[in-house]
Amino acid sequence: MAGVLIQMRTAILRRSTQGRRALGGLALVLLVTLLAAGTLWAGLVRYHVAGAGTDVLATLSFGWLLGWVTGPLVTGDDAALRMDYFKLLPVPARRLARAIMGVAFANVSLVFSLIAFASLIAYGARSGPAAALAGVASVLLDLVLAVVASTVAIAVFGPVVSSRRGRDFGTMVLALVITLLSVASGLVPILARRLTNGHSPALSALVRILPSGWGAVAVEAASRSDWGLMALALGGLVLLIAVLLAAWPPLLARRLTMSVRAGGRSAARPAAARTRRPILPPTPLGAVLGKELRLYSRSVLRSLMLMISFLVGVLVCVIPAFSGNTSLLPFAGLLFTTIAAACFTNLYGDDGSSLWLTLVVPGAYRADLRGREWAWFLVVGPAGLLLTVVFTAISGQPRFWPVVLATEPALVLGSAGLLALISVVSVNAPAADGSPSPMRVLKTHVALIAVPAAALFPAVALLVAGGAWHLRWLQWLAVPAGLAWGALLGWWSGRLAQRRLERQAPEIFSRLRAA
Amino acid sequence: MRGPQAPNGSPPGEGDAPALEFAGLYKHFGPNVAVDHIDLRVPRGSFFGLVGPNGAGKTTSLSMAVGLLRPDGGTVRIFGRDVWSDPVAAKALIGVLPDGLALPDRLTGREVLTFLGLLRGMSRAVVGHRADELLRVLELDSADGTVVADYSTGMRKKITLATALLHSPRLLVLDEPFEAVDPVSAATIRVILQRFVAGGGSVIFSSHVMALVEQLCDHVAVLAKGRVEVSGPVAEVSAGRSLEDAFVHIVGARPGGTEGLSWLAS
Repeated sequence: MAGVLIQMRTAILRRSTQGRRALGGLALVLLVTLLAAGTLWAGLVRYHVAGAGTDVLATLSFGWLLGWVTGPLVTGDDAALRMDYFKLLPVPARRLARAIMGVAFANVSLVFSLIAFASLIAYGARSGPAAALAGVASVLLDLVLAVVASTVAIAVFGPVVSSRRGRDFGTMVLALVITLLSVASGLVPILARRLTNGHSPALSALVRILPSGWGAVAVEAASRSDWGLMALALGGLVLLIAVLLAAWPPLLARRLTMSVRAGGRSAARPAAARTRRPILPPTPLGAVLGKELRLYSRSVLRSLMLMISFLVGVLVCVIPAFSGNTSLLPFAGLLFTTIAAACFTNLYGDDGSSLWLTLVVPGAYRADLRGREWAWFLVVGPAGLLLTVVFTAISGQPRFWPVVLATEPALVLGSAGLLALISVVSVNAPAADGSPSPMRVLKTHVALIAVPAAALFPAVALLVAGGAWHLRWLQWLAVPAGLAWGALLGWWSGRLAQRRLERQAPEIFSRLRAA
Repeated sequence: MRGPQAPNGSPPGEGDAPALEFAGLYKHFGPNVAVDHIDLRVPRGSFFGLVGPNGAGKTTSLSMAVGLLRPDGGTVRIFGRDVWSDPVAAKALIGVLPDGLALPDRLTGREVLTFLGLLRGMSRAVVGHRADELLRVLELDSADGTVVADYSTGMRKKITLATALLHSPRLLVLDEPFEAVDPVSAATIRVILQRFVAGGGSVIFSSHVMALVEQLCDHVAVLAKGRVEVSGPVAEVSAGRSLEDAFVHIVGARPGGTEGLSWLAS
């Protein structure tokens, strides 16, 4: 039976790894190979402090095992062999459990993990054959643990992540983790220094106590001929694997017999909303504004984009401040606004075919477009201005005041119209699985440069000229000039967008419907 | 058009104009002609069924009728007003239920209705009152806190129908309104539509279910390969047979399923 399942999975994976996805897969393989090689290297280098190598390897093993266990959370069940395929099979759960576990071991990812965990053998080999052998045992047990824990995690998380809300949650977690990791990579050297110079006994104890650290502990114990501790660590791994294996069939049975619901019912609270007095005017513009503001708080894509804009904008400017460099702080609001503008340059494309509602209502185009502009302005503008004012104030660098006051309001005003214009001129429908299409991602990247360039060039020109000729008044002149240009650009590009929507709405809709 | 009801050559005046009129309507997608110079009249106050096999051009024609898809040729008039040259006047008269299109799915049903009502310039009080009634009659009031994303297919159909009815239009254009709707809801929708027609409204809807069209409609048109094969009062089109038999005869199809599969019953 395991053989049949492996064939089935190979067939599904072959179908799904063609074209663009294959390219993405290649990038992922490269990344994972680099990570594996890096881990192996950590087992080869010499450490100045005794035991530091064990801490580092235990930490890295934790990362790899975490990847195995959280993988299903991200991909939503096993992406290829969905549990639901087996619900109707007249096969005993125990036999199916054995087969699925068998399939799990036929996994290419094990090669990368083998390279990574081999760092334990390399680390042990330096202290003699006994430690190297302990390393071999640790590697095998860690690999088995990785596969078993990952499979069990599917049964545990599966029902959660199979639902739409669960997938939303998974996507959100993944995007946030990637964002935080890329931004916080500045923190990795600090963490590494703490581990390698042995200054953090608490961190060291933590990474060793977790099951992911037991392999490294066993190797170190073997190198000291501490056989008791070695046996304890390796025995612990065996016991953990046995417990997981015993828990697997009943968990699978539960997973196969439970019905996957769409998760808890909606987050909307209309009862409260109805008793609240409406703030927005009962006009077409107010209607669109209300709808858009609700979507900003309820749509996963939108809240995600806002959150990423905020985190990247703030962290990129704040992290250097930890090492004493506060000159980026005043620009946190500007960076947040730029990213938030670039992310929302596909307002119509992201909404998909629901544009039909606007098409069947007579004369609704103007309200629809202006409502979308205002909603973005109200969501992003105040936050960007607040970030700018607060971080410039705490940066203690008053020379930046004219710079930020000339740019932030201009960017907010100009972007509101520009993003509407870009949304109408270039409409990128979501991909089949609801994720942003490659063209939409490309557009966002171009907009990251183009939107601030268009909105800020008069202000920046005055600021640069004022700086070059040491004319303070010229720099301050950039503030009203920036404001005026931003307002003009926002109004003018918004009008262009409205005209184009009025002329082209059925064509825009056809593109969205075809996708 | 080869039907009992030949189209009127000159466009009629607004006073007696038909509820919906296609004249030489044409649309192609690349080399495929989806709608091939259709002429069709939906009389005022009629309950009009549009039937045809998959790919016959039903959705394409209805999309062009309501302003969602620009025709390559021909005109569409609603009560004498051209949908494409006078869209504001024409669109004010119709309620639309398209098939398989998205709604702003993170809003609740009531929020969708409120949004649309205000977008149409209705007052908040009227929108609130009508939304209450529509949600109750369509039995969506128990799902008041549920966003449309969590609706079943049938519930989506019903909330979309509510958006079509909200502004009390004079013509309803419905694409597959009964698909994926449970029998009880289907009966509710039938009664609502019959009351609408009895009150002077006009309905055109597309469907695969012949029995339903036969039971509900007074007029029917059969579309096949982008052309109107026949159109007129149901009794004339079916000519003594059941509408289903007439349909199979008109589109020249032969029901399959009699060959092979000998192992199935053993």
